[in-house]
Parts: sequence; structure tokens; C-alpha cells
Amino acid sequence: MRELVARFLSQSISRRTFLKGMTTAGISLTAAKDILESLVPAAHAQAKEGAAFKVVEGSGAMCFAEQLIASGVRYVFGNSASEDAQFYEALVDRPQLKYILTPHEGPGAAMAAGYVKASGEPTIVMQAAVVGLVNAMGQMFNAYKEQTPLVFYSYRTDQSGRAGRDGFEEVANQEQIVQPMTKYAWLARRADMIPETVRRAFKAAWTPPHGPTYCSWHSDFNDQHVRAEVVMQEKVDPRMRVRPNPAEVERAAKLLVEAKLPLMIVGDEVYTAKAMAKAVKLAELLGMPVTQMRQIYANFPETHPLWVGTPPAARLVSLDYPKNPDVILNVGNKLQHNSPNPMIARGAKFIDMRIDSLSMGNVIEVDVPLVADVAMGLDDLTAAVSQLVTPALKQRAAARADEAHKFHDKARELRDLVMKNPDWERAPMLADRVTREVAEFADRDAIIVHEAGSVALHGFDFNPDGGRELFFYYGAHLGSGVGTAAGVKLARPKRQVICLVGDGSFVFGPTALWNMARLELPVITVVYNNHAYSGPHSRVIEKVPGGRMVQTGHFFHDYLGSPDMDMASIAKGFGVQGEVAHSPAELRDALARARRASVEGKPYLIDAQVARVGVAWADKPWIPPAQT
Amino acid sequence: MKLPLAMITALLLSQPALAQRKPAAAVGFPDAPGKDVLLTKCFQCHSPNMWTDQRQDRRSWESTLYRMIGRGALWTPDEIRQMADYLGNVYGRKQ
Repeated sequence: MRELVARFLSQSISRRTFLKGMTTAGISLTAAKDILESLVPAAHAQAKEGAAFKVVEGSGAMCFAEQLIASGVRYVFGNSASEDAQFYEALVDRPQLKYILTPHEGPGAAMAAGYVKASGEPTIVMQAAVVGLVNAMGQMFNAYKEQTPLVFYSYRTDQSGRAGRDGFEEVANQEQIVQPMTKYAWLARRADMIPETVRRAFKAAWTPPHGPTYCSWHSDFNDQHVRAEVVMQEKVDPRMRVRPNPAEVERAAKLLVEAKLPLMIVGDEVYTAKAMAKAVKLAELLGMPVTQMRQIYANFPETHPLWVGTPPAARLVSLDYPKNPDVILNVGNKLQHNSPNPMIARGAKFIDMRIDSLSMGNVIEVDVPLVADVAMGLDDLTAAVSQLVTPALKQRAAARADEAHKFHDKARELRDLVMKNPDWERAPMLADRVTREVAEFADRDAIIVHEAGSVALHGFDFNPDGGRELFFYYGAHLGSGVGTAAGVKLARPKRQVICLVGDGSFVFGPTALWNMARLELPVITVVYNNHAYSGPHSRVIEKVPGGRMVQTGHFFHDYLGSPDMDMASIAKGFGVQGEVAHSPAELRDALARARRASVEGKPYLIDAQVARVGVAWADKPWIPPAQT
Repeated sequence: MKLPLAMITALLLSQPALAQRKPAAAVGFPDAPGKDVLLTKCFQCHSPNMWTDQRQDRRSWESTLYRMIGRGALWTPDEIRQMADYLGNVYGRKQ
């Protein structure tokens, strides 16, 4: 009996095994249950203290749950799967693992990714076999492109004794499906190998550069009774916080000090390394203007006088200022290229500081590579530059800072001209008007989740160091916005979270609204609803100018308004209050109601009616006949 | 080999050093006040394909230009006025 108690307290055996052992030893079931209930608080307390290693015994799924706890997981996101029965059983006595049921694997994975991004904590997404996995793979792709450390699991439905018979929900080599978009994909060969497979998945995902991983095993392994070793994450984490090569740091410092007009590009590694203040410090030391190519986060305070904005055309040459920088320092930007032209024109000296060495030098030639955790890299580079500072350099830096400051102020004034649009008061609204109304409304430290791909944000003055934060995307598997916002709110419950999403993106992934309602996550969702795919509309015309589509107005691919979709009604269907706003005045009133709902812990959705603008939009767009 | 206007412009714009100059292949853009401003400001991001199909009055062009501010263009009110005048004149609504 004492052994049974000890094993239960060390979480080596399950609740069921404990009761079975007690009754076998002659204790009545009622008495055994009473003893069990008295032990639960002590068992939880011991689990909190956490040992580095422990041996657990029970179902394979129970070992899985134990390894998740040891890997630091708090939330598990999943969709229902009968083959995971033993895992759900294990959850009953492990309140430290909180299971979040998501009605669709795609938005569920987006929610998990949002949680990871906003909390910096590990989590896992579970799907039912290959059928659930393929639903989640869109968000797996996003996690791969955006380097999000998200772990995925799904079992193989074929059982070990029956594999290869083309059974129900069976596909051969399931784990290989995800290989091109994961850092690690592995099939555990035995039930007792589940924990080590899981902890490798967490180790690989969370070792920089981050990325998604996948683990799998035959479903009957979940049911097998095994004895396995569980290891805490800290015992497998390589703690890859790398300092840059000192010789390269010296070269970079020399280039920057001698530069006439240096420019800093920031990227997401600055945000994930929490190095915003360090980037500011180096920029100020050199009087160096700062910009950012497209990333997920805003990585530099946009109100800082050295901030010169983002290039409008995804190439540095389209920046109004500075023109022709002679030394460019990239800090943590992946520089994803969507056109054959390099973002950074050849000619300037290029210093590339990133932990992601794999993509370094892919398109743009590098004069000084600084493979590093950017927080450490910025520290070292700032120290090296400080050693070289002379009175003359200080004077040059001050002059550059003054020039950048003047541009910053002028650009800010010019950006506000967007409100001088002669159609500013129109209804349906300009997308810019919706954006400005939300920017006026948002809390000073609001988090903006942005999946309105054709909408450019302005007026928010993002500041990742204590002000408003941005969670954008560039993975571009649509339908991530609502789920991401739910995950961000779960991770940061005290911050206002506003989800901006296009109507096209929204209908790819609204099911996370249900999670907002169920978990009382008061996210405010604003749908820019122009009843169309406006991005593809414009790009098609650019590719086929003056073609038959333009001549006839027969666009097959872009209009969603017939029959129309009522986003507020969709929200109500998921238990979220919503309303339609047609005009700026209605939008302001709706935002006020959304704020009141937030105070009560309720999510809210605003279906903002937005005008279709641009080339060749008819008032009543043509749609293909229903029947020919 | 005869290249269409769009391709010529795209090729020119693909050369970063040339991208800041006025494109030489601005065929289809008749001389009129405001043309120089338009070619300098808009071709940084666009090929002309987007707008050679567009016909709208001056006010609508003005609205279009202000929307570009929202997408990152930094233009003064006077530059917007000149471009709107030009576009309203050359690419105005068809009679």
C-alpha cells in the first residue's frame, strides 16, 4: 500500500492503477477512493516542484501527458479523437494540463500559434490521425514560414498489428507528409518511446531558429501499459544563445563607424529576443535611421525619431529616406523575397545579424555575417562601436540623427494626409477610415492581430517596448487571424486584443470565435467586409491589362457578395455578439459597444462595410450564371 | 523582338539604379502638367498596368491618390493636386 501511495505521488501510476492496486490489496473501493482524494493535493504539489528525471508507469498516453508536463506545457489544443482516449483519461488527474477543444484543427493550430507567440511558452496541437493533420497543415505551413516553435501530434490510426492494410483513416508514411515544413518529424517505434519522441519534438522546435515539429505513433501505443523515463525540458535544452564571432563584430563596428549613411533594418528576432531597447541604443549611438521589411511583429518604436517607416514597395530603394545608404545592418529580419529583385540593391556594404544562418546569404550577398542571438549580438556590436567612438563620429551621428528626425516628423505629417481623402466620410467606408477609427479607439497598449492582407495599417504608432504591439503574418495560409487573436488573448488576458481581418480571410477560419465565447476571451474582431477578394482582383488586372476580363467585366474569381455573407450573424452562430457598421458614425458606436462587452469578458465582432475601390469594379459585379 | 509596354517598364524598374529615375518608356503618358510628378512618384511601386485601364473623374483620382498615402506613399498636398489634375485630364471618364 505504501508503495502504491509513493508511486501515485510521484505520478508514476495513474488514478485507475492506484485504485486497482488498493482493491487488490484488500481495501474497499470506497475507502480507496477516499485515500486517493486525500493524496491528490500532495501529488500536485510534488509535480510543481519538478524533478529532472522520473520514471512513470501507465498507458502510453499517460506517459505522453507526463512528458508534456515535463516539457513545460500548460495548454493543449486539440480536436476530438477517440484513439486519444487514454490521453483524455490522463488529463482528469493532471489539472496542470489544460485541454482546449477547438472545433476545427486549422483555427485551433492558429490559436496555439498565437498563444506561443504572445506567451513565449510551449504548447502542443493534437489532431485526429491524418484526417485532422491535413486540416492543421495550413497553419503548420504558417508556423514554418514564420518560425513559430509549435509542436504537432497526431496518431496513426492503423494499429501495429494491422498497419499497411489501407485501413480506416490510414495513409502510408504519415509523418513524411509534413517533412518539408517541419524541423523534425518522427514516428515513435514503441509505446515506451513516446516521451523521448515528444521531448525531441519540443527540443527541436524551441532550439533557434524556431520552427514547427511533428510527432506520431500507432494509436494502440496510447493504450499499452509501459514504463518510461520522462525528462524535464531544461535537461535537453541546448540553450542556444549564441554570441557572434568577435572578429566579425570588430569588422562590423569598423564599417558602421566609417559609414557616411548607415541604415538599420529590424526583424522579428529583435522581438523574440526582447532586444528592442538594445536596437534603439545602437541606432542612437550611431544616429542611424531604422526601417523594417515585412515581418510579423513591429520591432522598433514607430514614434522614435530615427524610425523612417517601412518601404512601400518591399525594396529598400522605395524608401523616401535615406536614399543610397552605404552600410546596411540587418538585425533579425528574414528578408523574405517575393520578387526576383533583391530587397537590398547591390553596392552597399551589408552586415547581417541573425540566428537563422540557413537563410543568410540566400539572395543578398553578405559582407559581415554575425550569426548570433540578436540580443547578445547587439550588446557586443554596441560595445565594439563604443570603443571606436570619437568626437568627430559623435558630431556626424548627431547630424544624421537630426536629419532623420526632420524626415520622421515630416513623414508623420504626410501620413496623416490619408484623412484628407475626399471620400473620408463615405459609406460604405474606406478601409483607411476603418483603420483610423480603430487606431483612435485602441488602448495605448493594445495588441493588434492583423490578417487583412489588402489593408495597410497606419496611425497605430506601434511600440513593442510597452506600447501597442502588432501580430501580422507572412505565412499567408489564410484563416489564421481569429484563432491567433484568441491565442494571444489567452496568453495576455490583461491586454486589449483587437483582430483586424478581411472578409475573405475571416471565412477561412471563424471557428475560433466559439473558443472566445467558451473561454470568455474578450477579443474585439473587426472584419473589413468589401464582399470581395480585392487583392487578387487588382493583381489579376495588373497581369492581364486591357484583357477580356476588363473589357467585359467578367471576373470569375473575386466577388463574394451574391449571395452576401453576414459576418455578424456568423459570429452569433458561434456565441459571439456582433453587429454590422455601415458608416464611420456607426463604427464608432459599435466600437463603444465592443468595449463595454470586453469589460464584461465577452468577445465582440463588428462587420465593417467597406467600399470596393480600384480598377474595374462595377457597382453590381457580374457573377457567373448558376446554370449553363 | 517587340516587348509590350508593361514588360519594358517592368524591366526598367527591375534595375535598382534606374528605379529612381524617370522611366524612359513612359509610352501612353502624354505630356501635360503633372506628368513628371506622376512618373517620379508612382512608378516606384507600380507598373502602369494598374491604371491604364482605369477611367474616372478627377475627384476619384484624387481619392485613389490619397489611398496610396495609406499604403505608405509620402506625397505633399501639392504633389497630389498635380497628379490628380494630370490623371483627371488624361485618364478621365470616357465620354
